[in-house]
Amino acid sequence: MQHVIDVHDLIKTFQRRRQPPIRAVDGLSFSVRHGSIFGLLGPNGAGKTTTLRVLTTLSRPTAGEVLVEGFDVVKQAVEVRRRISVVIQETAAELFLTVRDNLSTFGRFHGLTPAVIRSRTADALEQFELGPDANRKVMDLSGGFRRRVQVAKVFMVDTPVVFLDEFSTGMDPLLKRAVMGRLREEAARGRTIVLTTQILSEAEELCDDILILDRGRQAARGDVHSLKLLSSGLYDVSITFDRLPEGLEADIASYGAVRHRITQNTVVVTLKEHESSILDVVSALARKGHVLRLEINGATLEDIFVELTQKSRKEAR
Amino acid sequence: MNALSAVMFREGKIRSTNVTFIFWDLVYPLAYLLVFGVGMTAMGLDVPGTGMDYNAFFLAGVLGMASFGIASNTAWSFFMDRDNGIFYEMLTYPMTRAQYLLGKALFNLLIALGQAAITVLLASALLGVSIRWPGVPLLAAAVFVGTAGWFFFYAIFALIIRRNDAFNAVTSVFYFVFLFASSMFYPIEPLPAAFRSIALANPITWQVDVLRYATVGVGAPSSIAVEAVAFAGFTAVAFGTALWALSREQ
Repeated sequence: MQHVIDVHDLIKTFQRRRQPPIRAVDGLSFSVRHGSIFGLLGPNGAGKTTTLRVLTTLSRPTAGEVLVEGFDVVKQAVEVRRRISVVIQETAAELFLTVRDNLSTFGRFHGLTPAVIRSRTADALEQFELGPDANRKVMDLSGGFRRRVQVAKVFMVDTPVVFLDEFSTGMDPLLKRAVMGRLREEAARGRTIVLTTQILSEAEELCDDILILDRGRQAARGDVHSLKLLSSGLYDVSITFDRLPEGLEADIASYGAVRHRITQNTVVVTLKEHESSILDVVSALARKGHVLRLEINGATLEDIFVELTQKSRKEAR
Repeated sequence: MNALSAVMFREGKIRSTNVTFIFWDLVYPLAYLLVFGVGMTAMGLDVPGTGMDYNAFFLAGVLGMASFGIASNTAWSFFMDRDNGIFYEMLTYPMTRAQYLLGKALFNLLIALGQAAITVLLASALLGVSIRWPGVPLLAAAVFVGTAGWFFFYAIFALIIRRNDAFNAVTSVFYFVFLFASSMFYPIEPLPAAFRSIALANPITWQVDVLRYATVGVGAPSSIAVEAVAFAGFTAVAFGTALWALSREQ
């Protein structure tokens, strides 16, 4: 099978009492390749979690067709559930059970035999550094550890599709890196990973296919490289001065910066300029004070994300 | 079956983390009978129209009350699951919504059966209640279907009402209305007509009457059969509505 997920004209509307309905997803169509790491990105309220809830059978579409591994999420919901494991956005764990029991109960729901449950529980405990806490009740663990238990569960099973909604929330950087490595391995083994994230560097590093959503619609689609092409002419200029020059903010504003950020003696400016004129702007800025460090980079996923969502909002007005 | 046993396993695991809770679940109807039933019996009054002492009459009532209580506690656990976030994660597990509801009910039905067995055996041994032993299969069925019916009934409200405190207020009202406007504590025949009509329309009266017939042989088989069928219908409607309420979560 070429596509693991097929979404056609998905619409999800929420009815509200005495208020007009909200169309959270508005005619969305996309498909996800087998074995890929697919990122759903977008600002708050873009429709990422709603889309994920439909894909994971938690929510019924108002209109449209959604297939996971060829099974309809409404008519064949149980078949879909047999093929997915899900990390929802909220921390979800059996608080009264031990870490070990949380893992084994999950395995049982997915029909694993006791022997397989034992060996995979041991692996997951080791991988997620949960061994010392294996026999502690989850209610006695910190929020970060609870999230760890939640994410560890999806590695207990072999479901062909894994959905992760903001999986790295509350994780320390080392564990996050380890989980990202493990997700890459799982994708290489043929599992399809679908994730949403607000941390764009995470998506840039992990995803080989990205869909940017805004107001329930597709704002852009492609891999990181093709998305960056959508934003040619966008540059991040970082200049560190020995002392921040006076009136620098006014100067930056006069250059029509897309955005800028000043932290202590460093200014980071995002400019949309032709290549030839970017150096003029940089040298003008550099003449304002004594420069300790200068860096010019092409657009990041964050730049593209901001530009596309702002553009889409302007068009909507 | 795998999904049902997984839900039961989960419920059992959670319940087994608190042995005191399990112990109280199992002996609570007996304790109620030993305190309230013995107190009333000590007044030396036979229950009008039955010719039996209060302990024998109240045995069925306390079993019905236990079904009602275990059902409301089980339904309340939906709030706990929601608070833990696990409720929504579980809805993505490989099972139907019906299996989720049934699995949750089944573990607690086992507790209810254990509870009934302890209560009936010790009521016979300690209080001298004369049990109609051939009625035990009917007793088991009435406890089983009764507890399931009340669980599905409470689940409707637990799934529709999103606030724990609002659900607690609803259950308080239900306890007052259902338990007292019924044949649980007293026979309904001597009651004023209006009160009696309400009690006759109360499903807990149907369940308690079947339990009373099964345990001590009070009641006419024909009217008990009607009440049993009516309670089975109540359970089926409550299950369908709870399933609808669970699907509304989407």
